[in-house]
Amino acid sequence: MNMSQYRDLFVSESRSHLEAFNGLIVRFEKNNTPNIVHELFRHAHSLKGMAATMQFDRIAELAHKLEDLLSKVRDGEISPTQSLIDILLAGSDLLDSMITVIETGKDDPLPGANDLISQITGFCSDSHAVPEPEKDVAPSEPPLRQYQSRQSDSFKTVRVKTETLDRMVNITGELITTHHHLSDQLRALPGTGMNEPLALLSSQLRELRDEVFLARMLPFSVVAERLPRLVRDLSRNLEKEVTLSINGGEIELDRGILEGITEPLMHILRNAVDHGMEPPHIRMAAGKARSGLITLTLARDKDHVTIVVSDDGRGMDPALLVAKAVDKGLINAGQAAVMSPREAFMLICNPGFSTAETVSDISGRGVGMDAVKNAVRSLGGSLSIESGIGRGSSFHMKLPLTVSIIQALLVECGALTIAFSVNAVDRTLELTHNDIFEEDGQQYCTLDGNTLPLGNLHHILGQPLPASVRNHIPVIVCRIFGRAVGLIADSIMGQREIFVKPLGKPLSHLKHTTGGAIMGNGSIVFIMDVNTFTALP
Amino acid sequence: MTPTVMIVDDALFMRKIMRGILEENGYQVVAEAASGIETMRRLHDHAPDIIILDIILPDANGLDLLKSIFSVSPLSKVAICSSIGQEPIIQKALDLGAKAFILKPFTPEKVVTTLASLEG
Repeated sequence: MNMSQYRDLFVSESRSHLEAFNGLIVRFEKNNTPNIVHELFRHAHSLKGMAATMQFDRIAELAHKLEDLLSKVRDGEISPTQSLIDILLAGSDLLDSMITVIETGKDDPLPGANDLISQITGFCSDSHAVPEPEKDVAPSEPPLRQYQSRQSDSFKTVRVKTETLDRMVNITGELITTHHHLSDQLRALPGTGMNEPLALLSSQLRELRDEVFLARMLPFSVVAERLPRLVRDLSRNLEKEVTLSINGGEIELDRGILEGITEPLMHILRNAVDHGMEPPHIRMAAGKARSGLITLTLARDKDHVTIVVSDDGRGMDPALLVAKAVDKGLINAGQAAVMSPREAFMLICNPGFSTAETVSDISGRGVGMDAVKNAVRSLGGSLSIESGIGRGSSFHMKLPLTVSIIQALLVECGALTIAFSVNAVDRTLELTHNDIFEEDGQQYCTLDGNTLPLGNLHHILGQPLPASVRNHIPVIVCRIFGRAVGLIADSIMGQREIFVKPLGKPLSHLKHTTGGAIMGNGSIVFIMDVNTFTALP
Repeated sequence: MTPTVMIVDDALFMRKIMRGILEENGYQVVAEAASGIETMRRLHDHAPDIIILDIILPDANGLDLLKSIFSVSPLSKVAICSSIGQEPIIQKALDLGAKAFILKPFTPEKVVTTLASLEG
């Protein structure tokens, strides 16, 4: 196999790895986290594999040494010192020079290479003996960075304005709508022989959609980088001790989602430090660690991401929240009596509801949790809160990976066709009248041994009830603030990929909707926001 | 029928080399993925006969991904391709349902004989 055909690709991709590696070292110097070490390790590891495949043995050897060194840092065998940073930077510079040799084809023996490799080996085997430079000794000259001409590389990547990416998503969405239109029209004309090209078009559109979305994806770490500093500064101002730990920073999200979630996350973190966290003396009196811990964890599940912000602070008392809501006239005594703790915690998302004893400069009164809830919802996501007195609170946000194009369940109700994001739907059921029973005017059915409260979409959407008695009653099971509820519809039309557009005024004022989509036949469907169905049982 | 293959590796360079080897030897590469997320997304659209899977990915460990892969595409045969070749890792991969292990750096011959052993 002629490997020389892959040389340019090797050079450009190695350079990308090295650039990322350098950036990470700088971050590592300020903030030594396992994620950064893991990422550094991964870049060295990739470079090693690539170089070994090309049989560039010296690059592979050096990358392997750096990988070894980083695995020892990861395992806690080597502590992060300035000497470690220096040696990582020197290794990166030498790799860069070695790649330049490959790129230019010039024979350069790189005399320092063997010395550095031995130095790294020594560092690995006897790390703790490597002394930090004495403070009164002038620091040695840092290795001179070699700035090479990279003209040949500069054409391989281009910067694209985010508006261009947005337009590409828009056009892709329109193409998908046009495809549905075309399919619907042709389906009505049998024997056109268009099935095969339509199927091909469909698969090509899927590929286009994936590529366009990939181009818009950014790792969460882009946002995460600024959060530790925020928590540090806030806790210092408030004379508290709080550490922020972030897991899953490498998970990628659409830039629109990242942009939309940054401010809400900062709100939640501010609240956690300001209201959630106790001062050190109170924590210690309660038998807790002096320093509080906030963890921000991202996890991907199918086509959505969950972001959980948990603190080990004082937590919230649902009874107090309910009493306060009654006091403020937000709910009546009857509603208060049947409110679950989970619902009670959501009361803090009511505008003007403050849990703080005093108004604070940092979070203000009402602390903007209503803004947080609205922002999450406008991204097509949902928010739920859990809390335990003395144990802390956690805020769970479930968000779609991408905006604009979603898998939706299309449902008919009265004269309307509406859509539910499949992320919001647990399952669908088909009931008969015998399956439904009523207690105190509320309808229920049994699902997997549990009682499932039923709501009628006709009532919610102001549609007339079906005139005739139906043999089969379709039900969509959703989670509304964490609780399963069945929604009775007229019929379930199936699942379809739709391109969601924001609704302009006055349609944006419609209750219960997060956006609209145009169907193949030109009709509009509204996308439902189940979390607004608050009047349900 | 030409066996279909999906290549999962975070390095574009490794994917291109692997694609070159496979296409020269009569395999049809139907998809490439650079991360765990991309793997699962592509897997929904293609159900390849063979998946060549790297272990260290930006968002996932290839071995941890195996269960999800088999839940979506139970008939796909997975060959792990990694420079991490310690016996316990290989054993873990096989225990989790992988059918073969290709150690990096690989030669075209090694790739072809390994994949041939998966057929039939």
